[in-house]
Amino acid sequence: MRRDKRPVYLNLFKIRLPIAGVVSLAHRASGILMFLAMPFIVYLLDLSVQSHEGFEQVLFILQHPFLVAVQVLFVWALAHHLFAGIRFLLIDADIAIEKIPANRSAWLVMFLAGSVVVIVVLGTLL
Amino acid sequence: MSLYILEGLKPWVIQRVSAVYISLFLLYSLVCGMTVDVVSFDHWRNWLFHPFNSIAFGLFVVAVLFHAWIGMRDVILDYVHNIMLRMSVLALIVGVLVGCGLWVIRILLFSMVGQ
Repeated sequence: MRRDKRPVYLNLFKIRLPIAGVVSLAHRASGILMFLAMPFIVYLLDLSVQSHEGFEQVLFILQHPFLVAVQVLFVWALAHHLFAGIRFLLIDADIAIEKIPANRSAWLVMFLAGSVVVIVVLGTLL
Repeated sequence: MSLYILEGLKPWVIQRVSAVYISLFLLYSLVCGMTVDVVSFDHWRNWLFHPFNSIAFGLFVVAVLFHAWIGMRDVILDYVHNIMLRMSVLALIVGVLVGCGLWVIRILLFSMVGQ
């Protein structure tokens, strides 16, 4: 790929990514995560509409501790992807493109996605 | 050479139009889900197989498949540079998406008459 022999210094842990970069990276990561979950979700959908037993089975499967953790991660992924996506659409419309408003909207996306997770988790527990 | 199925401005537009539809459908589903007291098998089936909802859901799945294809394709084009590996991974992704799509069609068509 590289044509010359100059050394490249690329230590990912030394790069201080701005918050907008974190939002963008997480937007990609959350999208990939939801793509990977897709076949499993379709499987659960199939099972859930086939019979009463299948429906109960889905509710039972989703109680597995590992899958509970996956569901929490999925809720975050969906919420983050949605809010970050809305932010990108607004940026397309030239809204909040200056440095300070763009930083603020990036923090807002992180905050809203986190809030959704907290609300869903508390709502399920209570 | 048209390697990537969708080129130019088209994927950009599809990504945004599908995103808006997905958001609206999720909002509608959320409202429907919140107004139900107990989630039961019968209620769930009746909701999904209601003519309006099944069509809205079918469109939602189409939107998700296109959205996921463009998103995953962009990620692969950014990070996978080896052309053979790139084509293989893209083909695998298309396979997963088409498989999921056919599976949902089967669910919507056959499970509806099955019960």
